[in-house]
Amino acid sequence: MNWGGFGTLDGWLAIVGLAIGTFAIRYSFIGLLAGKKLPPRFERALQLAVPAIFAALVVPLILFQNNQLNLAMRWPHAVAAIITGIYAGWRGGMLVSLLIGMACLHTLLWFFP
Amino acid sequence: MSSPANHADSHAESRAAFKAGVIECLQLIPSYIPFGLVCGVAAVQAGLGEWGAVALAAFAFAGSSQAVLTQFLSSGAPLSIAIISGLVVNLRMAVYSAAIAPRIAGATPKQRVLWALFLVDQTFISNEVRHQRGEHMKHPLAFYLGCALTLWPWWVLMNAIGAFAGAKLPASWQLDFTIPLSFVAMVVPLLKSQSQILAAIAGGAAGVLLYAMPLKLGLIAACALGTCVGMLVDALLKLKTSETRQ
Repeated sequence: MNWGGFGTLDGWLAIVGLAIGTFAIRYSFIGLLAGKKLPPRFERALQLAVPAIFAALVVPLILFQNNQLNLAMRWPHAVAAIITGIYAGWRGGMLVSLLIGMACLHTLLWFFP
Repeated sequence: MSSPANHADSHAESRAAFKAGVIECLQLIPSYIPFGLVCGVAAVQAGLGEWGAVALAAFAFAGSSQAVLTQFLSSGAPLSIAIISGLVVNLRMAVYSAAIAPRIAGATPKQRVLWALFLVDQTFISNEVRHQRGEHMKHPLAFYLGCALTLWPWWVLMNAIGAFAGAKLPASWQLDFTIPLSFVAMVVPLLKSQSQILAAIAGGAAGVLLYAMPLKLGLIAACALGTCVGMLVDALLKLKTSETRQ
């Protein structure tokens, strides 16, 4: 039975540092903007920032392999993601969207290994 | 003010909202498995010990920053560099914090702490999707906590299994691909205007081009760029409609 170890002091300092810092980031605007009305322009910018940051997060996750753009290896992932996006925009529903995407990916990888 | 009957109604409503949050985020559970296991394994390898790995997952609750932190610790980088690098990866959460703030204008200080504690990609975007659907916004915190209290324990558990058992899923399953797929499935229904679509396209393209920037800072730059493109499109569309009106 592995009862687990507690690691090094440095490790725990790192955990505490990351935890406190991350909470500060998460709380930043939630705390600063408490009960304040935002200028409409700023609110509009945030509505645009949401799709922008998720696209910036997602597209490399889809198209990159080993930290490099690799369309030759990742085109099935791209097709699977597009089909998932089309289905989600049409019908929604997370679980079905994920199942369709993964089924699509593995079908493509099966036919084009 | 509120009669007992009213109170009971509101209680039932908030329970329904909590349940809706649980159901919404139960569907995201598969996407946490592979990355959670990997993060648990990496934390032990970085010398945090099994319980350190569990604590890291529980208190940070932010996969990519956990991975960056443990990677730097393993490579023998100074503690401060490892922590700062992990935090830079989490800077995107400041964008979520700003975007969620106007949605919770009525929250008490204690409630704000709860909102901040569980703010991750999945809880943020689930809340955003629900807001855009305009579904009973009377109990946003109940829905949010339903989401958070589904995902957070599951995340900690996956890290623990990775840490204690060194378990990994076969890479050929590519289950980690469910993370980008879940983001696609959540964000696409949010794209309603031309400017939002172009902001997403610009953000995605910039995300690829700026990927090589250190510490995933490219993500923040791409977000800024995509937002600017969207605002430009907004301004152009406004100009066009005012011209046709004259």
